[in-house]
Parts: sequence; C-alpha cells; structure tokens
Amino acid sequence: MALAEDQRLANPLLEGLQLTRRPEPCAMVIFGASGDLTKRKLFPALYSLAYRQLLPEKFGIVGVARTEETDDDFRERMKAAVQEFGRDDFRDDVWKLLADGMHYVAGTAEDGDDVFVHIDQTLTEFDRDRGTDGNRVYYLAVPPPAFETIVKGIGKHRSKQGWTRLIVEKPFGHDLQSAQELNTLLHKHFDESEIFRIDHYLGKETVQNMLALRFANGIFEPIWNRQFIDHIQITVAETIGIEGRADYYEHAGAIRDIFQNHLLQLIALTAMEPPIDFAADSVRNEKVKVLKSIHTPGPKHVVRGQYGRGYIEGQEVPGYREEQGVDPNSMTETFIAAKLFVDNWRWADTPIYIRAGKRLARRETTIAIEFKRAPHPPFEELAAEGLRPNVLLIHIQPDEGVSLAIGAKVPGQGMQIRTVHMDFLYGGAFRTDLPEAYERLLVDCMRGDASLFTREDEVIEQWQLVDAIVAFWRRDRPSFPNYAAGTWGPPSSDELLRRDGRAWRRH
Amino acid sequence: MAQTLDSVSAIERQLAELRLGDGGSRLRTSVMTHIAWVPEEWVEAAEDVLAGLAERHPSRTIVLFPQSHGDGLEGEVDAESFAMTEGLTICTDTIRIRLHGTSAEHPTSVVEPLLISDLPVFLRWRGLPPFGEPAFEELIGVADRLIVDTTEWPGLPKPYARMAGIFERVAVSDIAWARTSRWRSMLASLWPAIGKVERIKVTGTEAQAQLLAGWLRSRLEKSIALQHEPSNKLVGVELDGEPAPFPPGDPPIPADLLSDELDKLSRDPVYEAAVLATV
Repeated sequence: MALAEDQRLANPLLEGLQLTRRPEPCAMVIFGASGDLTKRKLFPALYSLAYRQLLPEKFGIVGVARTEETDDDFRERMKAAVQEFGRDDFRDDVWKLLADGMHYVAGTAEDGDDVFVHIDQTLTEFDRDRGTDGNRVYYLAVPPPAFETIVKGIGKHRSKQGWTRLIVEKPFGHDLQSAQELNTLLHKHFDESEIFRIDHYLGKETVQNMLALRFANGIFEPIWNRQFIDHIQITVAETIGIEGRADYYEHAGAIRDIFQNHLLQLIALTAMEPPIDFAADSVRNEKVKVLKSIHTPGPKHVVRGQYGRGYIEGQEVPGYREEQGVDPNSMTETFIAAKLFVDNWRWADTPIYIRAGKRLARRETTIAIEFKRAPHPPFEELAAEGLRPNVLLIHIQPDEGVSLAIGAKVPGQGMQIRTVHMDFLYGGAFRTDLPEAYERLLVDCMRGDASLFTREDEVIEQWQLVDAIVAFWRRDRPSFPNYAAGTWGPPSSDELLRRDGRAWRRH
Repeated sequence: MAQTLDSVSAIERQLAELRLGDGGSRLRTSVMTHIAWVPEEWVEAAEDVLAGLAERHPSRTIVLFPQSHGDGLEGEVDAESFAMTEGLTICTDTIRIRLHGTSAEHPTSVVEPLLISDLPVFLRWRGLPPFGEPAFEELIGVADRLIVDTTEWPGLPKPYARMAGIFERVAVSDIAWARTSRWRSMLASLWPAIGKVERIKVTGTEAQAQLLAGWLRSRLEKSIALQHEPSNKLVGVELDGEPAPFPPGDPPIPADLLSDELDKLSRDPVYEAAVLATV
C-alpha cells in the first residue's frame, strides 16, 4: 500500500533524505513512443532518474505509437536508446526497475476509442499491480495535428481517483489563433493547473541559476536596471542545420523554433521583478508581466536571415534551400535578430538585443549584461584603451557558468589597464555532471510543481509578439540566402547594433 | 601521447573532460586565446617559442598546421600546468590541429567554436601571410590582434604595402619592430641633432632596416635614404656616415618579444606610420 502524501510528509525518517524529492506513485503514458524525443531525451532522462532513485517507488510507463510492436520490442528499443544517449553507466539492475513497469500500446487516430480503452486497461492494471494510485502523467510527444484526438481520448478516460497531468511539447500552436484554439481544446478536458507546457530551456541548470544569481545575491539586484545597465545581448547560436526536420522547420523558422519560446523565456527571466516566493504562480506572474511589457519592435529592428552554403568544422555544408525536403525557393528564416524593449520603470530605453540561428559560427547560448562605462575614468586616455565596459556573462551552454569582466592594472610601471575575467564555472565549483533538463522537468511535473513550465497567458503573450513580427514580414521578400553557413548571420544583424554605436560580442 | 581527435566536437569534449579532471588546487585560467598559424616549414621554430609562452600568458593556445594534402582534421589536446607560488598550479590548454583540404582553406570554421568566450584573440602568423586569401582574411576577422615577424618575409619592402591595407581591420604587432626598440630609444636620445639626418645605414635584417628608416621618415616627416647591410641581427646604425652609439643592455629573447606583444590590445599608430613610410 502506497503512502499518501500527507503521511509521507509526516514520516520523520524521510527528513534530510534525498527521497524528499521523490514523487508520489504514478503512471506515465508517452504518446509518440517511437519518436526521436522519446529515444533521445525522455528514456535517457527516466533512466537517469531511476539511477538516482528519483522516480516514484511505484511507477509504470505506457508507450503509445503507430508502430506495431510487443512490450519486449519496446523494452529492447528503449534499452538501446538509454545505452546510446544516456549520461550514466548502464546497469542492468536499474534498467530492470524501469523495464518491469513498461508496456506498449500500438494505435493511431483511425483506431478511435479502442486505443484509449486499451491504455486505460493497462493503467488500471498498473494501479492494481504496481500501486500507481490512479495518478497519471500523459506526455504528448507527438506532432500538433495528433493533439486533438489524444486530448479528447484522455479526457474521456480520465482516471476517477488520483491526479491527472498533461505534458505538452512544443510547438504550442503556430500563431496566436492556433495557440488559443489549442488552449480551448485542452481546457475542455483539463484545468490549467493540470497542463504542463514544456520548454526544456527552463529545465537547464544554468537558466535556473539566473534566478539564484539575481535573487540570492544582494549585490546584483540594486544595479539590475536602466541606471546601470547599458544593454543586454542574448545569443542562442547553433552550428547544426535542420538535421532532417525540414517538414517541421519549413513551417516554423527561427522565430517559432527558438524566439517564441526559449528566447522570450530567457528575456523574461533576465528582466523580471523579484517574485515574492518561488511558488509556480509567483514566478510566472512576474514573467508574464515582462512579456506583456515587450513592445512590438518596428520592422527596422528585426532582421531575418537564411543560410547559404558555407563551412562548418572545415567541411562545406549545403545552403538551407539545398537541404533535403526544403523548398528550393523557401523563404523560411533560419536566423533572427531583434532589438527589443521592455517598457517598464526598470528597463525603459534599455535595449535587449537578441539573435538566434542555425549554422552559425559556434554553438553557444549566452546572456550578456553590459553595464555602463565608468562615468569618469581618471586615467590617461591611452591607459584605458584596452578597457571594455563591465560585462556579466551568463553561459547557458557550453562551458556552463558565469563570468564578470572587470578592468585591472597591467603589472609594471605606469598605469596600463585592461579587461580581465572573474569566472565561475559549474564544472569547477560543483564537481558533478549537470542533470539533463528533461530529468528536472519530469520530476517537477510528477511532483506537481509547474514553476518551470509555461502558463497559458505566457504563451499568449509570446505569440502576440511573434504574430506582430510575422505580419510585417509578409510585406517584403528579402533576398535569401543572405548569410554563409559558419558565419554570424547577415550583415544587417551587425548593422542593427552599429546604428546604436554598439556591436555584438564576437565570441 | 594525446589522443587524435577528428572533429571539433571531439576536441570540445576532450577540453571539457580535462576541465572536470582538474584537482582543486589547479587553477585553470586563461587571459586570451592564442592562435598560431604554422605552415610546415615553420613547425620547429614555432614550438620553441610557444614553450616559454604559456607560463607568462595563461591562454588557450590553438596551433594550426595547414597540410597540403588529405582531408578533414586531426586534433590533439594537451593540458599543461605550471607551479605558481604557495602550491597554486595554473593550467592551460594547448590544442594542435592539422588541417587538411577544405579545413585548411576555411580554418575559422574550425577555430571559432574553440575560442574562449569573451577573451581577446591573438593570431600569430608564421611567414608571409597570403593577403587576400580566404584562410588569412577569415582568421584576421576573428582576431583582435595579428602578430607577425616581418623578418620572416621575403621581398621586403613590397609586402609592407599589402599589410598597410589591413590596419583598419585588425591591430598588428611585428616582432621585427619590437626587436628595434632598444635602437629606437637610443636614436631618440640623439634629438634634436638627428632631426637633420638625410641618410641612414642599418646593419641588420632587411625588416629592421626598413622599419627603422620608415620610423625616422614618419616621425621626422622628411625623406631619408636607406642603405642596408645584411646581418641576421641588428648590430649597427650609421647616420649620415657617422656610427651611432650602441644601445646598452642585451637584446630580448624571442619568447619575451612575443610575450610583450601579447600585453597590448590596441593599435600602435607609431608602428603603422613607420610601415607606411617604408614604401
């Protein structure tokens, strides 16, 4: 018999044990079990959680996909996936814990209700045999067209006891209207508190560290505003191309793939006011205020690009229009840069420059907070030539950490000053591997903690901004491709900052 | 022997492992990324100079060896550590990459992912750079400072004109120029008499002769004739037929010269003017 949550909390022996983060018994149903996400991310994450005893003691997994296969086939396939993509050593005893509770249900939308009846039977068996208590996590790792059937099916067969939670993968709609329709559909069957819209960026340690950095330190918050900060630069750069996902990317482009979700969330975390506590709604209330205050940038303040042929790691790579499955005249953007403003007392007139793209010169996600120059350096003009303004750099990937650029005297005669760095590297301060974002997010969902998931109103605000930008994009046809693979995007992106007398950080 | 790595991501993984492998008292630190472009004929000389460098300028050093044949890249990563005071050890990374085929033509696509974020990039180019060619033009695009030794250049002073064309794009240091600094101080001490000089004879390398003459012409704003007496180091200067005094002290060693150039971040207008006045 499983312990109920209140009994669990009352158990004095659990105090101080890691088990306090262990969720209640539950079953997880993954729709899209034959897909890439399940193979590369979800199962490796579930395995790592099992490895660290962070999964519920009583747990079961149902994989659902079109492919006809047996439970054993499914187990073998996922075992291979964990061995290939997992971050921990493969141990048979740990795997057995997971595999014992794994079942597979084959089905498509055409099968109608039968699939859900079948899933329901499996879950009822889990409740009986594995003690999962009627608690359910449904994971929608499927393309959006499949959402409706599945959401209706789950809604119809909701468990009568315990809780039900639904994790929805991106893309969450492709514009404001479709996102609203999707919300309406979800709300027919689920309460907002049961819906977990996942943005895996928020599960990254370094993204959460932004909250620690800002709100656990007394020294940053007083200068975290327009008086002291000159501007902010956020870069989400990838060197990879579209990796065979032409179907998805042709319709999404950089604005829906990265800007709408990851980038806007990074802006929200960087610019938000201190929340009163870390309860899910307190944090999300503050984030949504930031999203509401971002005003639509004018056409001159948004740059889009598409890569042509170029070189990555010394090898020639094809242009976007030459990628398999891409329209040879495609107008899909693979790069976006913009100058944004958050219109509130803290940030008025402080530009936030963002850029994101594929096939750029290096893989990096960073937030750079560039402070204003010292008002009156009392040194000779030449002495401070090598001196740049203070920059607080938050490295989200790779080389996770934080560094602060400060001016220091070069040893020797005279007063020569140059920029040096104070670094905090995750690998150096905490000698542990960073958990994968999905590990954190899966546990959070099982525990009912929605802080790192996107709420309905955030999604709506994000799409409003995207729709406004896309609307003026429809009016012109830039000549694509306009940047070579392996570079930092089109010249107009540099121009965007040069007009303001600023420049992108080069690397 | 370090393991051979055939992709940039493999090199990145190796760097990350090295970083995690450090014990607590070893401080991995860098003040710059130092890229060296070393064609085959310069390999030995380059290793000698690098040997003394990392201690003074903890940096990530990326040594690129362009190869005339083959395809792809072969990389090696080494961590070197140096004992500092009170049990503190600093370590730095040295990445050696042999570039074949297209990767030698487009080295930036290999180097850029390996630069340390936000630190200045120095590019040491052995021999005469191929001005206008993609490999060189791309690399100066990512560098904050180009370091050459024009002593290594054939056919002077003509190539100085090509170099003057890149001054607006990247700050340049010349080790040949640094080697003349003792002599320039001595010549400066001859002011104001030296203001009337019309002929200079330099016994030293072609680069030193050209740069000293260019320097006097640009500073004194007059034309001065140059006579060059070849020698592998700078041993004498005559002004209008009169030998100038020998400067005091020992000539600096190569690693010192490179090291001093790595302290500088901004353009050197005096050097640039001297180069412009060589031709």
